[in-house]
Amino acid sequence: MFDIEIGEVYSVNQKMDIGEEMPMKLRLLLFILYQKLKKAAKKNAAYRSFLGNMQVKIMIKTADGKHGRLFIFDRGKLSTLTGVTHPYDAALVWSDPDTAFKVLSSRSEEQTFRAAADGKLKVDGMAAYVQWFTDGVKLVMK
Amino acid sequence: MGMINGGHLVGKYLKEVENVDIVFGISGGHLESILDSFTEYKIRTIDVRHEQAAAMMAHAWYVYTGKPGVCFLTAGPGFTNGLTGIANAFLDNAPLVVLCGKHPLRDDLKGALQEMNQMDVVKPIIKWAATCYDVKRIPEYLAIAFRQAMEGRPGPVFLELPPDILNIKIDEALAPMPDRATRKYTVHPDDADLKAAADIINNAKKPLFIGGTGIGFSSCTDCLGRLIDKTGMPFILLNHGRGTLPDNHPLSIWDCGNVGIMLTASQADVMVVAGLRLNWLLQSGSIIPATTKVVRIDIDPHEIDRNRQADAGLVGDCGSVLGQLEPLLNKKEHREWVTMLRAASQSMIDGEIKIRQTASDPIHPIRLAAQIHKFLGDDALYVVDGGDTSYFGLVGFMSRHKAGVIGSSSGLLGCLGTGIPFAMAAKLARPERKVLLLNGDGSFGFNAMEFDTMVRHNIPIVCVVNDDCAWGMIKHTQEMSIGKERLQCSELGMRHYEKMVEGLGGHGELVVKDAEIIPALQRAFESGRPACVNVMTDPTVTSPASVLFYQSLKME
Repeated sequence: MFDIEIGEVYSVNQKMDIGEEMPMKLRLLLFILYQKLKKAAKKNAAYRSFLGNMQVKIMIKTADGKHGRLFIFDRGKLSTLTGVTHPYDAALVWSDPDTAFKVLSSRSEEQTFRAAADGKLKVDGMAAYVQWFTDGVKLVMK
Repeated sequence: MGMINGGHLVGKYLKEVENVDIVFGISGGHLESILDSFTEYKIRTIDVRHEQAAAMMAHAWYVYTGKPGVCFLTAGPGFTNGLTGIANAFLDNAPLVVLCGKHPLRDDLKGALQEMNQMDVVKPIIKWAATCYDVKRIPEYLAIAFRQAMEGRPGPVFLELPPDILNIKIDEALAPMPDRATRKYTVHPDDADLKAAADIINNAKKPLFIGGTGIGFSSCTDCLGRLIDKTGMPFILLNHGRGTLPDNHPLSIWDCGNVGIMLTASQADVMVVAGLRLNWLLQSGSIIPATTKVVRIDIDPHEIDRNRQADAGLVGDCGSVLGQLEPLLNKKEHREWVTMLRAASQSMIDGEIKIRQTASDPIHPIRLAAQIHKFLGDDALYVVDGGDTSYFGLVGFMSRHKAGVIGSSSGLLGCLGTGIPFAMAAKLARPERKVLLLNGDGSFGFNAMEFDTMVRHNIPIVCVVNDDCAWGMIKHTQEMSIGKERLQCSELGMRHYEKMVEGLGGHGELVVKDAEIIPALQRAFESGRPACVNVMTDPTVTSPASVLFYQSLKME
């Protein structure tokens, strides 16, 4: 789903102290994703245009409510918060951190589809905002 | 034979040759002898309050009956008022027959009342247009008009009839009624193309059939049903194709909504696209992955490769082509694929499903649609008009009837205001059915005076206004594009539309709480009168359609 090399996850893991409370790989993956999007929002003209003035909050979290990261898009600027208690417009809700990591790092739309079909991925809130978010991610990663 | 005037020749032709029993319009001096012919030949007239409604009703008449609709416009402003309805029919490929007045030929270039060059104005939005200059040829011109409207790709036609010919009397024998052509022309696709299409479908592992207006206008319920049953393909029918097979058919994916279409299209290995243009609503075909095999079926050969090169293209009327294709297809089932796509789609609209099932304060528009559907079920005719409102209604309603759920403003013209005329036509065409219109409060304003028409002609529809006090889609798009603090021309305020309808002689209800929705609907239908149920809904809710709309117009 998100075109991030697993190697990047481990590389960042060595540099960052990001806490132990959440399964590390997923936490790292989401952090790297945030960094990539933030950088693209500044330097990638196509992505800047894509973001426009959208003001949207997208949450990626696990169903047990233990792990999550909020992506805050505010008129072309991107910020983030960890945790699952923040209000959002739409959320990708994963059944568990392992599935989330496997699918998100798989680069496969089919795997995402299968995860949804298996009930391991659900969307809370407006699916269109999730589509917008993933379209943006694809734009950055291509 | 006796003497007859040109206007009566019009009524005589409509009744005796085309079997027209209802027409839509507004009176006007230029049309008097035509109006009198409606009395003479017992053709019911629905006289509206704005000509655009007449054109839209005639357009909708075809959607609900399969018979071309006829509207009459008087010259000048009657003509210009009708243009929006004509343009909408043109972009919907609907066979609308427009009979239009014209200033007297004798007074041409003298500054006659309502003198204008109507022909040059209408030509870009009409399939065929002509002015009749000879009273004896009125039946012939009308026959051409009806043939042009219906044959090939349907569309609106325009016939100008000046009073110089309408008001002249001639011996009836000089203007005989032509026989109505009863031939049905069919186009047979090339056998090799049929085989190529069949091979693609027979080898599909994850197929999807998407049908559009061409399916609905082809009246091909039986052959489409046989093809779907034989191939086991999941399907979705859009636009005026909706309801050709019931929304709740086991292989219909309407329960997955628009999100389901997008998701399924992204995973299908074969898509059969029949009678449907791959326009902006389907992101000009870009929702179909490059690796997906595409079979296109269309009555217009220009559509076959438009916006997406087809792997197999079959030209012809959808019903005819499906009938020729079906014998070449293998009996198959795709249960695992259907189960998977349905489960995946349900996961993606999990949030929406919860909203449907939960009482909300303020009322969520998705919840409003769900409560309406809970009350009426799948035996009603639903019409949906608006921006965000269209999304909520199209995914919230299911019907087992042909054209049972019509998004009247969801065509290429995106023509708000069509809901009231379409709902009126639905009720006139199928009086035994309950007709519910879900209307945005913005779009309600365009034809709201037609409640007067409904009262005069006893057309008891129930219009639920999804009242978010705004042009919702525009407002939410502006929030995305120019910012919440700089909204411009997008807010409307709270208005008692239900009282306006009461003032016109209808039934009115105001709803502000979830629990009031169903009792108000009950009272509205039991009133037996045209009714408006004005429901105050959450103004902060944005539909997915707004996001699509925003993205489609962003140009940087």
